[in-house]
Amino acid sequence: MLDHILSILIFFPALAAVLGFAVNKNSIRSYGVAVATIEFVLALWLWFAFDSSVSGMQFMEHIPLVKAFGINYIVGVDGISLFIIILAAFFTMIGIASLGETKDIKNMIVTLLFLQMTMVGVFAALDAIVFYLFWELSLVPMLYIIGAWGGPLRIYASVKFFLYTFTGSLVMLVGMLFMAYFYYQATGEWSFAILDWYRLILPETFQKWLFVAFFFGFAIKVPMFPFHTWLPYAHGQAPTIGSVILAAILLKMGTYAFIRFSLPLFPDASVYFMYPIAVLAIIMIIYTAMVAYAQKDIKQVVAYSSVSHMGVIILGIFALNVEGITGSIFLMIAHGVVSGALFFLVGVIYDRRHTKYMSEFGGLASVMPRYATIFGIMLMASVGLPLTINFVGEFLSLLGFYKQSHTLTLLAGMAIIVGAIYMLSAYKKMFFGVVTKDENRNLPDVNKRELVALIPLTIITIWLGIYPKVLLEPINTSVEAVVGLMHEKSLTQEAKSRIPNLTKDAEVITNSAENTVENSTENSAEEAH
Amino acid sequence: MLSPVNVSIESLNLMTLVPMLIPIVGALLIIVIDLFKSGQDKSLYVMLSLLVLGVDFVALMESAGIFKQNGTVMGVFDVMLIDGLAILSQFIIVGASLLFIPLALTHKRFHEFSYPEFFALFLFMIAGFQFMVATDNLILIFVGLETASLALYTLIAMHNRDKSFEAAVKYFTMGALAAGFYSFGSMVFYALTGSVEINQIATILSANNYADIGFVLVGVVFLLASLGFKLSMVPFHTWTPDVYEGSSAALAGYMSIVPKIAGFVVAMRLFEFLIHSGVVWLEVILYMGVVMTMTMANIWALVQTDVKRMLAYSSISHAGFVMAAILIGTTQSNSALFLYWILFSFTNLGSFSMLWISRQKNLPAHQQSDHSYDKFAGMVKTSPMAASIMGLFMLSLAGIPPFALFWGKIYMISSAVTGGYTVLALIMALNSAIAGYYYLKLIVYMFMKDPVVQNNGHVYVANATLPLKTIIGVAAMGTIFAFLAVNQLLELVTVFVYNSGY
Repeated sequence: MLDHILSILIFFPALAAVLGFAVNKNSIRSYGVAVATIEFVLALWLWFAFDSSVSGMQFMEHIPLVKAFGINYIVGVDGISLFIIILAAFFTMIGIASLGETKDIKNMIVTLLFLQMTMVGVFAALDAIVFYLFWELSLVPMLYIIGAWGGPLRIYASVKFFLYTFTGSLVMLVGMLFMAYFYYQATGEWSFAILDWYRLILPETFQKWLFVAFFFGFAIKVPMFPFHTWLPYAHGQAPTIGSVILAAILLKMGTYAFIRFSLPLFPDASVYFMYPIAVLAIIMIIYTAMVAYAQKDIKQVVAYSSVSHMGVIILGIFALNVEGITGSIFLMIAHGVVSGALFFLVGVIYDRRHTKYMSEFGGLASVMPRYATIFGIMLMASVGLPLTINFVGEFLSLLGFYKQSHTLTLLAGMAIIVGAIYMLSAYKKMFFGVVTKDENRNLPDVNKRELVALIPLTIITIWLGIYPKVLLEPINTSVEAVVGLMHEKSLTQEAKSRIPNLTKDAEVITNSAENTVENSTENSAEEAH
Repeated sequence: MLSPVNVSIESLNLMTLVPMLIPIVGALLIIVIDLFKSGQDKSLYVMLSLLVLGVDFVALMESAGIFKQNGTVMGVFDVMLIDGLAILSQFIIVGASLLFIPLALTHKRFHEFSYPEFFALFLFMIAGFQFMVATDNLILIFVGLETASLALYTLIAMHNRDKSFEAAVKYFTMGALAAGFYSFGSMVFYALTGSVEINQIATILSANNYADIGFVLVGVVFLLASLGFKLSMVPFHTWTPDVYEGSSAALAGYMSIVPKIAGFVVAMRLFEFLIHSGVVWLEVILYMGVVMTMTMANIWALVQTDVKRMLAYSSISHAGFVMAAILIGTTQSNSALFLYWILFSFTNLGSFSMLWISRQKNLPAHQQSDHSYDKFAGMVKTSPMAASIMGLFMLSLAGIPPFALFWGKIYMISSAVTGGYTVLALIMALNSAIAGYYYLKLIVYMFMKDPVVQNNGHVYVANATLPLKTIIGVAAMGTIFAFLAVNQLLELVTVFVYNSGY
């Protein structure tokens, strides 16, 4: 069974969703929780069986799909994708378990299970077309969640979300088709397998064009400034569960794809575009932090702060060294946990008051002490307090980029202070002072169902903040392989110097990374023309 | 004095005529049955047509087998040309007809299906299309085209509504104009080369190195215009939405598939050599036509308020997308054309059938047209199954993987990439994005809006009977599980196209 665990992880929720149509409406919640728990246990099992000393892909499966055109169903997992898959399973579980009163709850749970299939599929796919398939398919459940359960502007928000991402990914698809064509020219056969593509060394001009094509797809998904305009609408209108999944998992698809596709496929172009992208990332960090400060709506504050932190992830990725990329992957997990939790918390208060305006609140700390405590912990984590989960990721990402540019890193660091300002002031407005509104006097504190989601998230936030090594080690091993591959593949002098050569630092390198480097040297012999 | 003509029967290769003769005989049989005992139920004619088409399909499989062994077969004074293109397109024609004809078995009574002539004409039309694709003789193409078109005009008019008459007359007028253009264009080529066989024309023209390029261009423009009418390419598309609106949804769906594949095959035969002749003008004309058809049709589709008209524009846009294959003109692109069209026929027939089963006999007061968007508002609440299937077809048309049309789309865009048409590939991709909006609009209406009128959901399946549900089920299954069949389809199509020299 372990040989097919990834396929099981992908298709079990989908099968369960189809069968879910037949479950009675009153029992569907238990059904959903049961299915999502099984899925989460399977994901934990995957982690247990995962060999963290191996840098390459594990649990690979290979089934030809369209042989004549080189499309295969290939899935596999390495340290980079493992934890995001677990995170996806985890969030679906607690998301369904803590789902509040919802109309058409059956449709909602079935949709969430379908969404889970697409999420796991994206992170497990090792074939570009299979990746694209799940990537696009993930839009449909999200469209439905926002469009059917969202706020007053839900249709506009959901259609904007869909079309924006769809357009970007179509440009990316053209890029993928080009990539496959170059592979065809080099080897005489079609292949969309990512691991095959890794062996291809492209001339720098081709790299640049393809990088741009892929960039459109990924940047819109992240979303990077200036393509971020769909996100505030989507978050503003989506129901709580939609925002949670969107922030925690769906946005990670973009950053994950940068690491999976852009960096190893186009190392020279990555170096070439490093500064422009870093500048975009820093604009994204600072600008959205300022916008967040100006918001009246607490959900928008969380939404913009989430975009701002995604900027740090991008910065870490384009540090192009082991620290930066490892840190950014860790930050993806951290950002998922923290911003997911913050959206949950906003949902808690929205369920009680049906408003998200901060001016409507005030003095909540005395009315809802438990709520205020959890919110406080999550807020500290979001700000990047040491010993919380975000700190580790942000620190490593910035450390990585510090090696490339001091000034830019300093700017990004400044933005974290702005982050502290808007978060703390939001907290002040909502929780401190006296209770001004009568409606707020008798608000019930968080109930058991909400605690089901919030307590595990709080525990993770602190646990991984104190002891991040469990995650960092496997991530580090795989990232070293990626960076080693990039260094081997890069053509220009600048790229060679920017991307560290791991074989020289004897103390950093592990055996497995060495193997990969050797492999890639062998493979680079069959370079493209 | 004329010497006696000696022609051996074997050299005529009359077997090449069999697939076309089967529907003709079937049509005559239906008329004869009506002569003996009229006023029979439509189910008799439907089943007879199905049988005839089934036999036709078997005959096609046999000629496919012969083609695989012996390659291209000529027959009947070398007028008939049974190559891979002819066989593939006939498969699509007959296959789509097999899916179409049971749609006559509706719950409500519709006027046209009570006439046996409807079915006879239908079979004649199929024979016409089959002739059209199985020859490279300009005259026989013309004969096939007109046989099919005249039958089709009548089929539309038989729907017996004011709008149907309007549609039929409009289609007829435009069709007559197109026929005029066609004959004029062919005349130019005949005058230039003294032949009406496309391969002869190609040989002679390239032998004298396109000396009379001016006349060639005149001929091409006229032929392109006439085919443009048939394929509803912009700017010759104006009839399409009106005709689709006027004819029954089932027939509109049929018209969006079968006549077009016949047109594509003719266009492929005709433009294959012209594109490769190196005359830049031709390429530019075709390039403009392709891009305009894709883009303009998409933009018009955005503003439609009626689902059927939206689908009409969408099918124009798809036709433009597929015309790109002819422009690119490689084996990969020509295979992509057939792959695309096979997958498209499932999805498009399915979505038009969904409109067909929701067709009411009379228009309710609150509705402006038969299939306005409003009618579908909140459909998921009243009939979730039908809404999900309709949504599925829309997603497939938009090119969301893994549904059927996505595979056709990537192969087509890939062929543009391989053929060196990078800009065209990007235009195709961006057009898919524009198209996403109007397909999404229907999904938004169905899944996210509240019902405008409180109805019980029966209206969406008012017309449904078991045969119709079966057809929709087949189309839905074909759409979902296409990814299992794509590999085999692709290999088959590529072999057939490659072995016919395209």
